Amino acid sequence: MERHNTVWRIALLAPPLSVFAVFVFWPLFSSFFYSVTNWNGFGSDYDFVGLDNFAKIFTDKLFMNAAINTTIWMAAAIVVPTLFGLGLALLLDGKVPGGRAFKTVFYLPICLSAVIVGQIWIWIYQPDWGLLNAVLSNINGEKMRYAWLAKPDTALGSVILAWSWQQTGLSMVIYLAGLTAIPEDLLEVCEIEGAKLWQRIVFVVLPLLTPSTVVVIALSVINSLKGFDILYIMTGGGPFNSSDTLAMHMYNESFRKYLMGYGSAISVVLFLIALTIIGIYFRQLKKVDRIYG
Amino acid sequence: MFSITRRSLMLAALLASATGVAGPVFADAGEVTISHYFTGELGLKAFNEQVGKFEQATGIKMKESPVGHEDFKTDILVRAAGHSLPDVFSYWAGARVDFIVKSDSLRPIDDMWASAKLDSVVAKPIADSATIYDGKRFLVPFNYHYAGVFYNKKVLADAGMTAPPASWDEFITLCKTLKEKGIAPIALGSKNRWPAQFWFDYLLLRTAGPDYRAKLMAGEASYDDPQVVAAMGLWKEMLDQGFFVENANADDWTDAADKVARGDAAMTLMGTWITGYWNGVGLVPGQDYDFFPFPKIRDGIPNAAVGPVDGLVISANAANHEGAEKFLAFMMSNTDVQAKWAEAQGALSANVNVDPKTYNSVMQDAAKTVAAAEAFAFNYDLATTPPVAEVGLSMFTRFIDDPSKLDEILKAVAVDAKAAFKQ
Repeated sequence: MERHNTVWRIALLAPPLSVFAVFVFWPLFSSFFYSVTNWNGFGSDYDFVGLDNFAKIFTDKLFMNAAINTTIWMAAAIVVPTLFGLGLALLLDGKVPGGRAFKTVFYLPICLSAVIVGQIWIWIYQPDWGLLNAVLSNINGEKMRYAWLAKPDTALGSVILAWSWQQTGLSMVIYLAGLTAIPEDLLEVCEIEGAKLWQRIVFVVLPLLTPSTVVVIALSVINSLKGFDILYIMTGGGPFNSSDTLAMHMYNESFRKYLMGYGSAISVVLFLIALTIIGIYFRQLKKVDRIYG
Repeated sequence: MFSITRRSLMLAALLASATGVAGPVFADAGEVTISHYFTGELGLKAFNEQVGKFEQATGIKMKESPVGHEDFKTDILVRAAGHSLPDVFSYWAGARVDFIVKSDSLRPIDDMWASAKLDSVVAKPIADSATIYDGKRFLVPFNYHYAGVFYNKKVLADAGMTAPPASWDEFITLCKTLKEKGIAPIALGSKNRWPAQFWFDYLLLRTAGPDYRAKLMAGEASYDDPQVVAAMGLWKEMLDQGFFVENANADDWTDAADKVARGDAAMTLMGTWITGYWNGVGLVPGQDYDFFPFPKIRDGIPNAAVGPVDGLVISANAANHEGAEKFLAFMMSNTDVQAKWAEAQGALSANVNVDPKTYNSVMQDAAKTVAAAEAFAFNYDLATTPPVAEVGLSMFTRFIDDPSKLDEILKAVAVDAKAAFKQ
């Protein structure tokens, strides 16, 4: 019987595993393979270059630029939606007039594709007739014609803002779910004992929301690693590489410069970074589980 | 036990067929597979009509997969990587074709070229520059575009222009007049970088000449040479005088075209495909808009025209290469096909037998201008290798953003381009 089960398990696991093998493992190992070649993407003509591609990473100015941008992007993509999501959840928790409508409005952007969100924000940032410059002109009294996405000092920040706008709804919903799990009586007791609102939030609500925070941050990390599409739509990594992330840089090297070997080396490095982050996350998750699980 | 094995076998068979989906999908015998970038505004409907004529004439079925222009660049690479290139695909003549020829991914077409007598069909300057790579022919150039200064006729008439500026001084004076009238002289939409390249192309061609430019494109000259510094210096003077629209890096080429159409800006340096775009939004060629060639800057320098050539190539492993060759020969030689297709694309046919009367007045003038030119040069990103083109295209937008950094930018680009040529 035991043996029978094992065979069945293998048989049932085989279809998903084979799909993984073809669409995940095979490309993954291909990347490892091509990362030690000077393949250009066309034909089967290439030489083995050993670790040259990896050595090149250290002298590639654009790689360093992309690495810094990726760090900024990830940090912002974790912090901003998390804080705003938490703030909104605290505001909208409980009986707020029109609360349901607000929740829907804030959650809506997450249902849109990155292409649409990107396009909406391109309009907002448009220098001649965009919404942002119109609003700033009204406040400032002077005609603002700043090209937010076309200036190297604001391009990355502008995309991060658009990204945060989309992602905040997701964090908000997770925090709202977390808030419903906090017992009303506990907060009432605190209130009777004389704890002020901010004390209740900082000392009671926030610690009890830790499991939600872990989920929010994990999703933010995963989503920010995937955040290639909105950058591609809004700036394409430009102007002149000022908003390049590592994923964008990998794309440029592979598909615009036809340096598949070097692009593969970058993707291997990206893979290792993602693996490290996931490793750290799992370790933290275990700790949280021990305390709250 | 036996039954389990049989089940496993069935599963294995199922899996084998499932994974088979990932492999290349083979065409039926007799079919020719084709992939191209003529979607939407680039004339998919017109293209399909021409393909239909080939199918009717020969009985050979074409199996096509159109991909958007920008996505095509990635798509064809992915297909090449997976060894599943279509029999025939469209491509941009120049460094890009050279690049895949060097990877042995294309099939030479010398025999077909000779038997279809294409020498007497294809315009010679185009045939010389676009079809031969490493001593063999690989590409059939079905049409080409020409980059010129396209302008709003009413705006320039109001500014007192009676004849196109014949010299650089006249051109600069025209820009000054427009500027004084409160109209941006030149619209540019360099968000996607490539629209800026025509300025570099023409300024360099008109000051240093086609021979020097060819050297620079091949890596035999440096980006901090006095010739490049001088050409970029002219561009800088224009930017410093405010002749270009503000925030060019925020706009697409169609945004720039719209500005000219609306009269917010007077001119834009763009390829003939802009006529297709403008005609599509209801502008009348020769009445609402017209063009003049990029003005002469220095005496004694051959007058060159700039533009891309679109062509069809056959992949090295084409399953049906006979059908593919017939397709290329038919599409090139049939004047009706050539005329209809060029019209839909706002392009000029590379077939010398196409009656110029089939073009509108603006395109007729463009054809004459190219015919009178002493040289035809591919635009920047088709003239130099892809890794170097990346460096250069970024340079243009960076320079437009802050022209005061020109010296610094050129020094950095000279180093980066040298490194990119080695790749």
